Amino acid sequence: MRTLISIRLRNAAVLLVLATMLCFTLVVSAPGNVAVLIAELRSPKATFEQIRAVEEELGLNDPLVVRYGNWLGSALKGDLGVSYKTGESIGPALAGRLHVTGILVAGGAIFAMILSFTLGFIGALMPGSIGDATTRIIALLGASMPSFFVGALLIYGLAVELRLLPTFGSAGLSSWIMPWMTIGLLPAAVLSRVVRVGLEEAMARPFALTASAKGLSRGRIIFRHALPNIAPTYINALGAQGGAMVVGAVVVEPLFALKGVADLFLQGVLFRDFMVVQACLLVFLTSFIILNLLVDIGMMFSDPKLRRQGANA
Amino acid sequence: MRILQDFARSLRQLPRVSMVAVGVFVTLGVLAPYIAPHDPNAQDLLAAHAGISWEHWLGADHLGRDTLSRLIVSARTSLVGMCLVLLIALSVGITIGTIAGYKRGWVEEVLMRIVDVGLAMPSLIVALAVIGIFGTGYWNMIFALALAWWPGSARISRAVAVGVMNRPHIETLRVLGASPLRVYFHHLLPTTIGAVLVYATADAGAVALSIATLSFLGLGIQPPTPEWGQMLVDALPYLETVPMQVILPGLVLTAVVIGFNLLGESIALNRVPTPLSRRILASRRMLASNWTRAQQ
Repeated sequence: MRTLISIRLRNAAVLLVLATMLCFTLVVSAPGNVAVLIAELRSPKATFEQIRAVEEELGLNDPLVVRYGNWLGSALKGDLGVSYKTGESIGPALAGRLHVTGILVAGGAIFAMILSFTLGFIGALMPGSIGDATTRIIALLGASMPSFFVGALLIYGLAVELRLLPTFGSAGLSSWIMPWMTIGLLPAAVLSRVVRVGLEEAMARPFALTASAKGLSRGRIIFRHALPNIAPTYINALGAQGGAMVVGAVVVEPLFALKGVADLFLQGVLFRDFMVVQACLLVFLTSFIILNLLVDIGMMFSDPKLRRQGANA
Repeated sequence: MRILQDFARSLRQLPRVSMVAVGVFVTLGVLAPYIAPHDPNAQDLLAAHAGISWEHWLGADHLGRDTLSRLIVSARTSLVGMCLVLLIALSVGITIGTIAGYKRGWVEEVLMRIVDVGLAMPSLIVALAVIGIFGTGYWNMIFALALAWWPGSARISRAVAVGVMNRPHIETLRVLGASPLRVYFHHLLPTTIGAVLVYATADAGAVALSIATLSFLGLGIQPPTPEWGQMLVDALPYLETVPMQVILPGLVLTAVVIGFNLLGESIALNRVPTPLSRRILASRRMLASNWTRAQQ
């Protein structure tokens, strides 16, 4: 078990190094001269000497490997460079926004889990019923509707027509409900299929028949015996959907005027602010890698077969 | 020609709902300028926020542009964008996938690791990062999306190519003295393209969704070209007064994506009865056997 975790950790570390290299090359390969941009930011009519000075200051004349080392060293210390547009350092700005995206994705994940279990159980317990048909339609719609459309419909329904919730802003829990629903619908649709199919398969296996022959109630078989069987698959799918939700934040944050990392990323993309794009990309890729690591470990804990494999490895 | 025929034949065996949705989408996309009742960009400020009428069947937006015409012309924007993205992504993906499947060994190992890294990253984040570096614009969007999508098609075409290479007739061809280029271009490539095209139709919905999402964020299709995501974001400030203008583009886009998703599902569940490749392979095999007989 421990060896398996250490292997996963090593793989994650390798991936992390690759991710940093990717972020670095993306900015290095950007067209145009960064030094000109910065020199013009300082004085509108930058002379050739000034541009040279900026180049020297940024270390643009060093070999690539040295530049990568310098960049990585300062990134590890939390210094992710300076925004070309606003001139403020990115590290603190990013740190102040992390919790917004964190709350958004975590709340969306909890919403998705609740909805997926509800829909999945209805579908698996009452196959062919109206409830089953409804859940299938919700699952299909959830998977096909663009999240910005879901968000717009929610704003229209809940905020404009019914006046239940505020449209945007961050005033307490009520303003978080719509963003959570928007970001959680697609994962909920995917996960409900996982629950439904998994439960049906587990209930068709011999152990379920044995359990019911021994006189266990249907509910007890499902919760005690069938549910643990779908746990590894569910955790795996949840991890993948967690990554999808980080991507979904790019749409949801501007829609609800949330000032999170995805919003900063989008600003950076809009104004071609390379350093901001690079820093946000690094944060995203790191979060994906950590998420995958957690999923791997979670699957190991929930799946005895994987655990035994790990003991032998 | 044969590839196209086989492609059409297998499309006929797919679920009807999705074929209707996709069919309407493609028809509108191809015929858009002839069908649209108004110029999609003609402004008529007096008709701004107009409701349903004879003149404007589905109303008009905040600049008085006819919504129905804009919805129809958007189908063309979406269709062209989608085809371009898939064309570039598939060309790169199939080339890399078939080379990996043909050469095997360390070439395959290196290429597939690159593909793995590409697959591990969410496509929208990749596309956004590329646009962030190279700037907004139509072609930048197309290339950014293609860059995000090629690893998927590369993996599928490698799997198909390995399957083809393991079939006996390839061995026969080699024994008969067919050159590597002949095997690659005449036997491996056409078969792989046919099979991968079917998978591409399933991916098309996600591409259409990404184009709309990028346009919604102001990073994809630039005004005045009509596009569903952009129509939606334009109408968003007037959500309280004219909600229909927000809901319509969203509904149309959803219908198209549902069509492609159902298609993809039936392909994933392997409801496409005969693999496209089989018929082509049969004809190749016959050619090879005729050739052997002629040689004797």
